[in-house]
Amino acid sequence: MFAVAMGLLGLAPLLALRVGRIAALSAAAGCVLLVIVGITAALAGARPVLDLGSWLGFGHSALRADGLAGIFLALTGLVGAAVSLSYAELPPGNWQTGLGAALLLSVAVAIGSDNAFLFLLAWEGITVCVYLIASGGRGRDDLVAGYLTGGLAKVGGAALLAAFALLYAHTHSFSLEVWAHTALPAGTRSLLFALFLACFATKVGVLPLQGGLPAGYGSAPRLGAASLSVALCAGFYGLWRFEFQILGPLPVWCGDALLILGGVTALTGIAYALTQDNMRRFLGYSTVEHAGVVLVGLGVALLGQAEHMPALAAAGLLAATLHVCAHNLSKTLALIGIDRVEQTTGKRTLDPLGGLSRRLPVTALALGVSALTLAAIPPLGGFVSEWFTFEALLQGFRMPTLLSRLLCTLAAAALALTAGLGLLAFAKYYSFIFLSTARAKVEQLREPSRWPVGLVGLGVVILVLGTVAPWEIHALGSGLQQLLGFNPATATITHPLTLGPVFSGFSVLDPTYLSFVLPAYVLLAVLVMRATRGRSVRRQPVRRAPVWVTGSGVELAAVQYRPSAYSNPMRVILRGPLGYRTRVLVTRGRNATAELTLDTRVVLAIDRYLYTPATSLALGISKRVRALQSGRLSAYLLYMLVALILALSLVPILR
Amino acid sequence: MLQWIARGLGKGRITTRYPRHAEAPPAGFRGRIDVLDSDAAPAELTGLCPTAAIAIDRQRRLTVDRGRCILCGACVQAAPDRFAFVAQYETATRTRSALIVPEDRETPLEPLRETLAEQARALRRSIHVRHIDCGSDGSEEWEIQALWNPYYDIQRLGFFLTNAPRHADILLATGPVTSAMRGPLERTWDVMPRPKALVAVGSDACSGGLSDAGDLAAGSVDAVLPVDVYVPGSPPSPIAIMHGLLLATGLLQAVAA
Amino acid sequence: MTSATKEQSELWAGLAEDLGAVQEPAPSEERRLRVPAADFDRAARVLKEAGARFVTVFAASTPEPAIIGAFALRGELVVVRAPTDDTDLAAVLTIGDWWPAARWAAQELAERHGPRPANRSKKRLLTAPDADLLDRHVSGLDVFTIPYGPVRSGIFEAIQFQIETGGEDVPRVQTRPFFKHRGREQRFVRLRPDKAVYVAERVAGIASVAYASAFSQAVERALGAPPPPRAERWRAVYGELERMACHLDVIAKEAETAALYVGQARFQILKERVMRWRSRLTGSRFGRGMIVPGGVRFEGAMGLDELLGEIDAFEVDLRRDRRLFVGTASMTDRLVGSGRLPRALVEDYGAVGPLARGSGLSTDARHERPYGDYKRLGLQVITASEGDAMARVNVRFRELGESLRLLRQSIDQLRRSNGELQKRLPTDGSGSAFGWVEAPQGELVIWVELRDGLLERVHIASPSLRNWALFDHAFPRDVLTDFAFIEHSFGLTPAGADR
Repeated sequence: MFAVAMGLLGLAPLLALRVGRIAALSAAAGCVLLVIVGITAALAGARPVLDLGSWLGFGHSALRADGLAGIFLALTGLVGAAVSLSYAELPPGNWQTGLGAALLLSVAVAIGSDNAFLFLLAWEGITVCVYLIASGGRGRDDLVAGYLTGGLAKVGGAALLAAFALLYAHTHSFSLEVWAHTALPAGTRSLLFALFLACFATKVGVLPLQGGLPAGYGSAPRLGAASLSVALCAGFYGLWRFEFQILGPLPVWCGDALLILGGVTALTGIAYALTQDNMRRFLGYSTVEHAGVVLVGLGVALLGQAEHMPALAAAGLLAATLHVCAHNLSKTLALIGIDRVEQTTGKRTLDPLGGLSRRLPVTALALGVSALTLAAIPPLGGFVSEWFTFEALLQGFRMPTLLSRLLCTLAAAALALTAGLGLLAFAKYYSFIFLSTARAKVEQLREPSRWPVGLVGLGVVILVLGTVAPWEIHALGSGLQQLLGFNPATATITHPLTLGPVFSGFSVLDPTYLSFVLPAYVLLAVLVMRATRGRSVRRQPVRRAPVWVTGSGVELAAVQYRPSAYSNPMRVILRGPLGYRTRVLVTRGRNATAELTLDTRVVLAIDRYLYTPATSLALGISKRVRALQSGRLSAYLLYMLVALILALSLVPILR
Repeated sequence: MLQWIARGLGKGRITTRYPRHAEAPPAGFRGRIDVLDSDAAPAELTGLCPTAAIAIDRQRRLTVDRGRCILCGACVQAAPDRFAFVAQYETATRTRSALIVPEDRETPLEPLRETLAEQARALRRSIHVRHIDCGSDGSEEWEIQALWNPYYDIQRLGFFLTNAPRHADILLATGPVTSAMRGPLERTWDVMPRPKALVAVGSDACSGGLSDAGDLAAGSVDAVLPVDVYVPGSPPSPIAIMHGLLLATGLLQAVAA
Repeated sequence: MTSATKEQSELWAGLAEDLGAVQEPAPSEERRLRVPAADFDRAARVLKEAGARFVTVFAASTPEPAIIGAFALRGELVVVRAPTDDTDLAAVLTIGDWWPAARWAAQELAERHGPRPANRSKKRLLTAPDADLLDRHVSGLDVFTIPYGPVRSGIFEAIQFQIETGGEDVPRVQTRPFFKHRGREQRFVRLRPDKAVYVAERVAGIASVAYASAFSQAVERALGAPPPPRAERWRAVYGELERMACHLDVIAKEAETAALYVGQARFQILKERVMRWRSRLTGSRFGRGMIVPGGVRFEGAMGLDELLGEIDAFEVDLRRDRRLFVGTASMTDRLVGSGRLPRALVEDYGAVGPLARGSGLSTDARHERPYGDYKRLGLQVITASEGDAMARVNVRFRELGESLRLLRQSIDQLRRSNGELQKRLPTDGSGSAFGWVEAPQGELVIWVELRDGLLERVHIASPSLRNWALFDHAFPRDVLTDFAFIEHSFGLTPAGADR
């Protein structure tokens, strides 16, 4: 079945050159099969292998699905299926469909490969697809964003290559199995930790290399952004595989560093998200925020591994994995939904939208579910994973070193702040698109496609993600068994359906119970209200009057808060870190009849202090280097001569 | 902040006990006009009044429209045998015709202060009051604001001020309705949920008062909306407005029952 | 004294020659010049160069239709009269384009008396505001317009502010008055002055005494019949009591806005005490029905010794409450730095009253052109230099003290002397004159034209209209939540502005 799945996935990009829809369906079918493969691999311990022999050189390579890969393959399959079905419903063109399918294939190969060179190949495939998707936009800003995404991905690829080269130098093998069992000196481990982190940071969006995410999401055309979010699975998988399993017990400072980095990333991501008016860039920064949360969980796991406390490692790793699942599913759903909104309204920013819930009910519901999950509202899946992350951080008192304990507390505080800001951000996001009165003409809008199977399917999955949390944890636990040495699900799930953070007797959560009781309470309240309504109230007919605007008869939509104004107070509070500036400019006329402009701008520190100087440096160097490529034969002959002399002089030295 | 608290507590009680106990106005207070002798009135009496509140019908009976009277005292000074000031606070009425003095026998009497006190004590719910200025001269606003100061403290009777007409039970309208304020007045009234009551505060609101010419859409509030209680005066004193509010509350309670 | 008047007359002679103006006979402290209509603008420029403050511009009707501009210059009212009929009003009234202080007055004049140009929509008239129209002058991602008014939160008079804001910052505020225009100026026509004073009292009810005094003074100056000194003393007493009530009202409103409710209650108590004094003195809580052209109607009905005793007790309470108010940091924090008006701006707009005095100007009608009892009382003009809301509140606090001092002086004089209260005015006199008074909001100037004992034309230059124009510039660095503090610190009344 594995072979069939990979075969269908491999077929899709080729088909896409001719028939986009069928290619998308083929990719979807492959993804569904992948889900089944992954779940069976995780749960039942089956180890499907697709042997590729030694055709690649660099040793024997195969595609296999062990427990960890099974989890991520299943995740990729789920999101990939939804995205492919969306490609089939609202085809964006053969080129886009082909790129999306190729990205899916690369991600699946990367997750399934057991040979580092195959992984590198697949990673480069992901990079190329990401760059092409991100540069698909028309405007100059979109192209610049595409360059940024591609450049950062290349930086990550370079780091990956360096890490692999280092590992090969130590082990003389490209097999991941071999690497998992070698003992490396601590200094090398630290260096490898940093290199791998740099590579995967560009993919999942961890500071300071997160630029590719918001830029790429914003500039990718149509469903490209949803495809880009599928690539997150590969990034997180890489972190799990390389940092946790292969590099074994890392020194304690690595876990501490991840805690700090995760907390800062989470806060920065959501703070920047509050400043975004572009819908997809907002989701990009939200991904950055959630990547920070995942990193915090991973940090706890690394600390547990370093201190040889498997229960703690399990707590952290389980929390992080749950969060990856919940986040990836809901973010992909959000991006698919936003694509539908953009298709119907033709607008990319929040401002002129509003009141779309009546015209696009299915999209509104789906985006509502995903927004609630991303904002960690009980009893949905996002809440369950945030709860687990907090509980893992609360185990900080078990850490032996004071620094770790302190960092756990600080990370918990940062996470709490992030949760609050996240709620604000998503409330703004959802309300200004779907709720309240329409700010533009919306009467003639309708759902763009009749049967949004992918959207609805994924929406249902996310809706019940919290309810089926115990079964999810069963699957994840058995999948993570090979990493942790034991199945955390037995320790986590105490009574049937009641969850605890691996350590027993600490605290409990029952999301299944909550997901029935909470709606029941709401229903009960409504029934009680109706029953106890006074007689006179029941008899009175309802009279509607327009909204009160201090006696003025203006239209409500013109005097409502605009989305940017809604998040203004938080921007003012965070104005230091955000570099928030406002000024009033006179654009026309003078004195009393002058036309003014209120110019508010946010200067993102990372952009200003890192990306812009780095970009100008890179451009400067490339300009200088371009001078070398003069096109004159004599110059090239000179270069060859110089290279020959250097090589000749190096030979005796190396001897 | 403690000093403010000490300052507030240290002065004893100054709040009026109206309506539980009668509140006597100071001597010489111009509460309302009374007609002492209404028969066989000479025609030139009508010229005394700047707002044409004095009328003499064909039987030479003299009447004064309290809704137009601005209590200037010109008639009292010119003909003290016919007109006199009465130092009285309770001057509100529930019908426009009851504002004509001397009242004829069919005019229904307003409820007594004791009845109003009983109604205020038995108040089961609080009343929310919203104010709208339709074009007043600004003094009625001061008197309405004074209702919430420690001397009158209308909150002890359950009256609260609200900014949202959607939460209001009583609308206090002041001033004659100017053309720019006609739309806002109608909109404010429309947005209030039933049961609701409209109280016209001040002679300008009751009848237009001094406003005959100029930029008015309507002379008085009752030309735009049905008024439930009229509180005449220029401006009416806070206790007169309190009396008017209690009358309006009685109307609301009658509707709710 | 003589050298000053000699210097003045040389100045006027020079000005008259400069402008090609003809000096006309005028009552004291007025200087009337007649210029041809085309030179009106130039005359205004010359006067501005000489340091005059703009007061008002309006259309008069006797002896012929004309535009009259009034300017305050060195203790005199310069009245520039330009005969014209309404047809070339727009050409004459360019004064609003370059003199900010004149903009609203000129616009009102043009809209009410000028011809209607063919393409003028009814939309943007200053004098006929439409509550349903929304202004957008500021563009930006955050910015939206809040049309605050005309039915405002709380018990306030009707006026609309179009606030364009991004939520916190306020780049632009546009004040739209004239929702309460009742045509009071027309109401005066063909009334006798003794009846018309009741109309004057009810133009702006919270400043009834000031309006009645200014109107009576204008009539008395037009007929050349000043009131008896005892009446002037009573007028000063009522005027200062009214000033105290208005200032206490402003301070109570500031306390309420800062949620300092005990402070609000204390100042409301003080204000109620002043209202009750007036009620006992005159029978009306606002002091109405007492001041008439010719003098005052009756003696105050309260014992003067008793009044002095109550004033002493009042002053003790006021001092203590003031000390608490100024010492409450949460209160003064909201006022300090809010609504800063630089002195140059205030001068440009010709602002008057505590507003101008809070920004360092010493504009006070009682001091520039002393009238009534103020010729004999020693007045101290209170100023502050910071120009923010705290400065304006401080000016009001100190003026309260000054009013108490003046009250004591006047009441003492009343106790010690006797005299008639009212002089009979000629019943068929004719004439025209200005009357002025320092109302609690600022300098109030009323123009009156009498013919055969009946009023022909009355024009009111209210301080509220002149000062409201400055409100749009009072938000340089403030946020939306400071709006109420700045508005209350202006202490103006829309009824006076709209008439």
